[in-house]
Amino acid sequence: MATYTSSAKKSSAGAFFDALATFWHRRWLLKYFIQRQVTRSYRRSYLGFAWAILGPLVWVFFLTLIFSEVVGLRFREVEEDPNLNFGLFLYCGLLPFLAFSEALNKGINSIKGNAGLVQKVLFPLELLPFTNAIASMIDKFFGLGALLIVLLVFGQDLYWTVLLLPFIVVLQVVFVLGLTYIMAVIGTYLPDVAEIMRPFIRGMFFFTPIIWTPERLPERLRWVVDYNPLAYLVNSYRDLILLGELPGAQATLYFTLFSVALFVAAFWLFVRLKPRFADLV
Amino acid sequence: MTLAVSLKGIGKRYKISPSRSSLLKEALSFGKVKRSHDFWALQDIALEVKPGTTLGILGRNGAGKSTLLRIISGVLQPTTGTVQVNGRLTAIFGLGSGFNPEFTGRENAMMNGLILGIDHKEMLERFDEIADFAEIGDFMDQPVRTYSSGMRSRLGFAVAVNVDPDILVLDEALSAGDAAFKKKSLQRMYDLRESGTTILFVSHSMGMVKKFCTDAILLHKGRLVTSGDPEQVADHYRDLIEKAQEKDSRAGTDRGLDDMLDREEEEDLEGVGSRNGSASEQSSRQEAKEAEIRGVQVLDEKGEPIREMPSGSRITVRVRARYAAAVEESAIGIALQSKRAGVDVFSTDTTREEALLGPRKAGEEVAVDFTLEVPLEPGTYTVGATVSIPGEEKPHFDQATSFKITRAGSELSIGGLIHLPTRVEIHDLEGEQERPTQSA
Repeated sequence: MATYTSSAKKSSAGAFFDALATFWHRRWLLKYFIQRQVTRSYRRSYLGFAWAILGPLVWVFFLTLIFSEVVGLRFREVEEDPNLNFGLFLYCGLLPFLAFSEALNKGINSIKGNAGLVQKVLFPLELLPFTNAIASMIDKFFGLGALLIVLLVFGQDLYWTVLLLPFIVVLQVVFVLGLTYIMAVIGTYLPDVAEIMRPFIRGMFFFTPIIWTPERLPERLRWVVDYNPLAYLVNSYRDLILLGELPGAQATLYFTLFSVALFVAAFWLFVRLKPRFADLV
Repeated sequence: MTLAVSLKGIGKRYKISPSRSSLLKEALSFGKVKRSHDFWALQDIALEVKPGTTLGILGRNGAGKSTLLRIISGVLQPTTGTVQVNGRLTAIFGLGSGFNPEFTGRENAMMNGLILGIDHKEMLERFDEIADFAEIGDFMDQPVRTYSSGMRSRLGFAVAVNVDPDILVLDEALSAGDAAFKKKSLQRMYDLRESGTTILFVSHSMGMVKKFCTDAILLHKGRLVTSGDPEQVADHYRDLIEKAQEKDSRAGTDRGLDDMLDREEEEDLEGVGSRNGSASEQSSRQEAKEAEIRGVQVLDEKGEPIREMPSGSRITVRVRARYAAAVEESAIGIALQSKRAGVDVFSTDTTREEALLGPRKAGEEVAVDFTLEVPLEPGTYTVGATVSIPGEEKPHFDQATSFKITRAGSELSIGGLIHLPTRVEIHDLEGEQERPTQSA
């Protein structure tokens, strides 16, 4: 029997762990939510879900072609490895960035965009940003699959370090989730600030070594990469997939601590503020 | 016994401001600029609902009904007061609103059920029941965008009522679907009620509340005005509406529409559940051609408009009519109807009272005063006015107003509708003298 009393203010720690537990209690709802969001865009196409992998394949193929000998844009070879196609290098960096920017942009709208639900049904709102973040990431996992296929087709070496990718992905999930919860709160409480965040998220593209390599940075600008958690993700993806190297242990530790702290703070903030969301949307 | 729902001192405040940017100015000026004001959507609501109650919530638009239901279902947080809910609560605000058109009925039903908090396994078991109830058939596996709006709301309703809630909160959900489905959903509500489900629902239909509810409350401007017996609360609500319509100078024409709507609803409800539909009043409204009623007023002996009077007092019904074309002769009549009994108590017109109106020119206006005594049973009455032209088939029943008869002084209430002038004599058969007594 579900009994609740509005006035019974739970300790914030209790509310925090209750909210965490709902991810398990409502796992089916979460599954359908995520499934719905991932498959939504392919619903009406004839090939259906196949586009989830076909789309990125076409894209990565296109990128590779542009930076190949055929088209002749060879001037942007990757410094450490002249054999590596810059298209692949670029695509590998794009994947974590796009997962990040998509999740955040959707996160801003995750409460407002579901006003119908938020105002009408009592259900755990913390599922909404989670859905956005995970759905965006799943979408990019298909991109990852496409990348691996292309690497095989083009005869690139596949390194054993690819197997370590799931660990980085878990860290990435924690990192992106934390940011998404913050964005959800900002998007609901401070819509104007959210509008400022959008160009900032887009701008992160240039502050992250996606179209440039960290090695090219002059020493006095190294901090742009050192203090950019997104740069850590991009570099780790490349290290594991394209170069067969392990990301730095110290950087990994810092990133892990930062991501966990971010998530805990963001989720706590979200749980604290969510009772008022229905009034604000 | 634990209460199903208990509200104490519930209030809900909103800040009303001309625009969002003015809120910003206000915040930046640290309270020096004040453009917004507080608006209390609800104030001081105390309510206790016992398990198994069917509570109807009446009130005009903006009275705070939906806000109250949202607070009870936990979607909104009250600004003041406490809410206590015991049991599994399902709330439906707008049917099928959470449906995604690209997904099939089955997927959407599952989603809706999961959102409402039903177990995944339970939902799988209930699919057939839901599909049956919604009468959707093979469409269950088609995208919802191919559904008609009726199918959509049927599915929404089917999911919500098949979850076996302890407390069901409905916000005008029953207005969906055709008459047959309405009947079916109402039957389902009766079944739920029989099985002990507490039902709280908002309705604009007084007929529905009277027939279906065991209790009712009336909200007006965010406050709880009356609670208790559905009949009384519904009467109170009707008064409230009429008061509002009187304020509106062009009021009255809605009146006929109201009756039409009520009647339509009652026809829909007939044969459902345990209590059957009562006789509905008759009134017809036609396009006014030669003449139309402009207003009906109930006045006291000083000529002041009144709405309540003790039984037996003398009132004047003033009817104003306007002629659109020249007529040789016409008649203006009134009809008194008891709301409770749903019957005409009395009707008369100028011809019958031998007060002839005579020939009238186009554009001419006339006022007719009917002064009469109303020795009637306490309750709400409507008085309608008609204007008829000889040769036309039906009189125009154009406008009506209502008034309330209260108990006269300390007298006992009468039996039946009318207190016919009565003389009572008591003959002491042993003695000689006669003691005539007359009641007032």
